[in-house]
Parts: sequence; C-alpha cells; structure tokens
Amino acid sequence: MKNFNEFIQKFNSFYQNKAGLTRKYKQQYQIVTGRDELLGILNWCKQNSFYHLANITCVDWIEDEEFELVYNLWSYEFKVGCLFKIRIPRAKPWAPTAFELWGQAQVYEQEIHEFFGVYFPGNPDLSSLFLHNWHDLPPLRKDFDPLEYSRQAYTVEGLGVKPEYEPEVEPEDNSEGRKS
Amino acid sequence: MNKNVYMTNLRDERQNAWEGILNYFRKRSMWMLYYCTGCGAVELPPTMTTRFDMERFGMGPMATPRQADLLLITGYLSVKTLKRVIRSYEQMQDPKYLVGFGSCPINGGIYWDTYPVINHLEMFLPVDMSIAGCMPRPQAILDSFEKLRDEIQEGKAVGYKRYEKHYDWYKANQDKVLNREEAILQPWEDPFADKPTLEALQAEDKIEKGKDK
Repeated sequence: MKNFNEFIQKFNSFYQNKAGLTRKYKQQYQIVTGRDELLGILNWCKQNSFYHLANITCVDWIEDEEFELVYNLWSYEFKVGCLFKIRIPRAKPWAPTAFELWGQAQVYEQEIHEFFGVYFPGNPDLSSLFLHNWHDLPPLRKDFDPLEYSRQAYTVEGLGVKPEYEPEVEPEDNSEGRKS
Repeated sequence: MNKNVYMTNLRDERQNAWEGILNYFRKRSMWMLYYCTGCGAVELPPTMTTRFDMERFGMGPMATPRQADLLLITGYLSVKTLKRVIRSYEQMQDPKYLVGFGSCPINGGIYWDTYPVINHLEMFLPVDMSIAGCMPRPQAILDSFEKLRDEIQEGKAVGYKRYEKHYDWYKANQDKVLNREEAILQPWEDPFADKPTLEALQAEDKIEKGKDK
C-alpha cells in the first residue's frame, strides 16, 4: 500500500460492518470494534504496516459497567498512530490474547490482569507482576478505594501499632472536682 | 491520632564514655549507601560533586551494604521495596545510620493515599534523621548531615541500638505489612479461578447473546 488513504479504502471495504474507523487528531485514528472481530482486524492491520504495538491499556467505565481495552498501534510507513478500542462487560471480563501476534503483549496483558482483573485466555503467564502479597480487589478498578485502603493498611491506627514501651502515665489531676 | 501511641523516633539510648571517643572518629568517615527508590536521588549528584562537595566532610559513596555506614532512603517506599530496604539495613554492620529523604518516608508525601506506598518509615526501621522537603535541596541535605555528625558525637544517633532492643516490635510491624494473609477492604474473588479456555468462553458468550434475543 502506498499511502494511508488506500489503507482506509481497503479497511472500509473489508470491515465496514464490523468496525468503525474515524479520525481523532492529525495523525491519530481510532478503530472501534467488538471482541469477536478483534484478533482478525489486528492481524490484518499488522500485515498492512501497523506492525508496532506500543501499548495496551484498560479503562474502567463503571457507569456503563464495561471495561475498554485500548491497543496502541503505530505505522512507520504512514507515520500514523491507531487506537483499537473494544468494550467488554465488567462482570466477567475477558479478551482473547494478542500474544500470538506480538510477543510484548504478554506483559501488558499480565499487568492489566493484575490491576483490573481482566482475563486473557491463551496468555502463558498471568501471575502477579508488581503488587506484593495482594488479596484485595484489583487496585485500579473504580470501586476500589485507595484512601481507605491506605488508612487501614499503612497508618498507625490501621495497623494497631502500640508504642515500643509503655510510657509512665501521670495520675489524673482531680483537684478541681474536689473543690466543687 | 491516638494520644497513647508514641512515634518511635525517641532518642532513648545513650552511649558510654569510650564510645564518645569512637564517635569522634565515626563521624569523620561516613560511607553512604543510597537506596534510589524515588526522586530524591537527583539531588545527590550536585551534593557530591564540586559545587557542594560532600567529600570535605569525609563522606563518599559505597557500593555494598556490608561496607557502608549510612543508608539513605531517597524517596517513597512501596511495600515491595520496603522488603529490600530491610534486607539491606540488616546486612549493614554497626554502627549504622539511616536518613530519610523528603516527606515520603516521614508521612507518605504525595503518595499518602495510594495503595502500594507505606506511610511511616519509622514504624519499620529506626530513622536517625529525616529531611523535610519535596525534594530537599543540596543545602538542606548538607545541613542535615552536619546535624547528624553532631548527633553522632553527642551519642544521640543510636537507631541501630534501638533496632536491636525493640527488634520484636519492629519485626511485628514489618510482618503486618509484608506477610499479610487476609484482604483489608474486600477479598477478591476471581471469576476465572479455574482458567477456562478460549473456546469455552466464546461458547458461553454465544449462549448469553442468544438469551438476550
């Protein structure tokens, strides 16, 4: 393909019913698809010069009860970036892994699994990456309260820390009470 | 804050006369190990190089904890790094001093309400000197080192003795954070704990879509 306009024409002829391609900024386009069409379209774009996967992120739309996965692609040929967006239900979130297409997708998906609880079937390693000994909700979900967690997990009152030694307590002064 | 809880940075240990002589020499050659977890490390190169020239006080960088006297915590500490800091501190030989840089080791700093960052370093390790600021300028760092030298001479910087004396107390606090076994707010029940395959999930999806119609 020689230029990006040709890419748009071919994309629309192939995937017009399944995905929408719109322009966001000067050199950034976005493609909104569904979960079933994701891998096919990613594969097609990879073969047509969008072969750099820069990042995968996740957005928690708690009011819509949905997660949004965003795949950042870049084309060195067209000098154009492309955002792939899919929405998945929040109750039982899963998405097919892009590990087969890009090797680096494995760590991005591992991170999203750790911080949002999204499951990627086919990903070889979804173990904990950053958090130490974590048992609570995945922390980047909107219904997780980091302030309350920090209060209970790391402060003096939350941990129930007692002084190193018992200080000598002075007896309370009751002289005012006696006068009355 | 509960009034019955006293923070642990109480200078309750004193040193004898012979150690006073030793302290005279100790304060003149301090080798630093800096634990560059946070942003405070950027203030160290100007402190060490020609303009402020830390070496005129006999201080210099050291590669390993076993040969260092001074441990600098330069910034915030997450739980994962706290484990490594404790290990480094326990590897150092007596006498050893610990300096917390900036507001993060004091009270959490701008990370006071986040989920992985601890709030008070004093609950887990004995802090000899804290430098306020976000981040402290080289002048403040040199000023605090001056004060630390005075405190070493006077026998007040005895965090390592406090750590030995109240080891159970420090260890209990460390265990509360590092070896936590239960959820704090709400336990996480993973809906995919039994790891279904892609085909099973897609089949389940089709059934649910059929129900909606």
